[in-house]
Amino acid sequence: MKILVVDDDKDIQKMFKDILEKCGGYQVTQADDGKGALIEYQESKPDIVLMDILMPHVDGIESTKKILKQDKNAKIVVVTAAGKPGLEEMCIEAGAKMFIKKPFKINYLLDVIQKVSRGVV
Amino acid sequence: MVKGIEKTRGFLENIMESIPSTILVVDKVLGIVYANPHYYRVSRQRPKDVLGKDIREVLPAPTIKRMDLDKKIREAIDTGRSFEVGHAPGDRLGTFYFYRVRPLTDGRGGNVSGAVILVEDVTELTRLEEEVKESYMKSDFISAASHGLRTPLTVISNYLALMQMGKIRDPEEQKETIKTLISQTNHMIDLVDDMLDISRIESKKFSIETKKVSIEKIAKDSVEKVKILADLREHTISLKIPRGLPKINVDEKRINDVFTNLLTNAIRYTPKKGKIIVSITDKGEHIRCTVADTGIGIPKKEQEKIFERFYVSGGRLSKGAPDRVGLGLCIAKGIVEVHGGKIWVESRVGKGSTFYFTLPKNVKEQTEQTTST
Repeated sequence: MKILVVDDDKDIQKMFKDILEKCGGYQVTQADDGKGALIEYQESKPDIVLMDILMPHVDGIESTKKILKQDKNAKIVVVTAAGKPGLEEMCIEAGAKMFIKKPFKINYLLDVIQKVSRGVV
Repeated sequence: MVKGIEKTRGFLENIMESIPSTILVVDKVLGIVYANPHYYRVSRQRPKDVLGKDIREVLPAPTIKRMDLDKKIREAIDTGRSFEVGHAPGDRLGTFYFYRVRPLTDGRGGNVSGAVILVEDVTELTRLEEEVKESYMKSDFISAASHGLRTPLTVISNYLALMQMGKIRDPEEQKETIKTLISQTNHMIDLVDDMLDISRIESKKFSIETKKVSIEKIAKDSVEKVKILADLREHTISLKIPRGLPKINVDEKRINDVFTNLLTNAIRYTPKKGKIIVSITDKGEHIRCTVADTGIGIPKKEQEKIFERFYVSGGRLSKGAPDRVGLGLCIAKGIVEVHGGKIWVESRVGKGSTFYFTLPKNVKEQTEQTTST
């Protein structure tokens, strides 16, 4: 299974790669912002996208909408540190399958990925 | 009939007696024609000291002066328009009053014959407002701190878990991981330091240690500090510093923080291969330092807000930089002001921004100074 990680923080990108490869055996591709996410999505056709919200140029919500416009079956999970009230609803409205708040535990992340990939959520 | 009138008058008197606010009525020339019982109770004056007297003789002079009350009452009488003026500090320490003034019409032709003045003690309300404001500020603070800590905590806790699970075995990989852990821990330390600075600045307990130093040296040190970051974005930084600048009394570390913050912002908000110029000018009584960039610029309406805490240009938080919560410029302002200087920005969208700050030459040599703001 292939997962696209979209985050402008290099340390976070690397952390996701390490967790997903080492603990889940997933293949990982990366993008630095919403714009790059769209290009990378077209190229690598991932099974799941892990999307950050606060990014330069095109933010996570906008990017989620754009990817879904391109592929209505895209499975996008938002991962964010922002605790703005109503943000979770905004992400779900934009079409995200799940909303993960930082910090999170490895097992929780893997569990969400499993559920989303099986179409349970 | 007479009984009926007396009954009504008694009823009205009872109402006036029980009103817990001051009511004064003045005639066209501001002579007091009526004061309600509450006024006599709180002012401890007697009717003979009040009735027929000019309001300026009866109300405390500072109260009148502070709010231009006499002029405003006269205006209300002349124009027939009401006005309200509030939260004026009273003469007793810690009391606040709210004034409502309505023109008094004679009821027949609607001619204005004076004014009714209602004075309410809003001390408790003002105190509650302050409390609410403070609690909002605290929750603002807590939410920004928690937001800033979430990303480094995610990286640190998950890498520690991976190590505990034995997933990071390769020595090179271990080294890299430790580097990441240190860098994320430093982010948290910076954030906590910034939060402490802000809280000291706001509670006016921010102190500096000054000694005679060369501003040129501080500027050069700061440029050196941000060089790696500037190189990454292929910016050029140049210095324009005249010879023979006098040494002045400042807190070297803190002024370095100001330069570093302005430079980091310039680097961050300037598209790749930009130009950043640091210049220092002797302006007689003070030294003026500027950091100019060829960056994206700041819209006019944001230019004042950027010095407020938690404000990030563009109205949203960005990451990947040390200042993730929008405290840098607020701290810079606090540092400059505690030195007795000023900080401001001139900017045009798409052209770039120039930040200025001044440092007075005559800051007295001292080991500690507290904010005057």
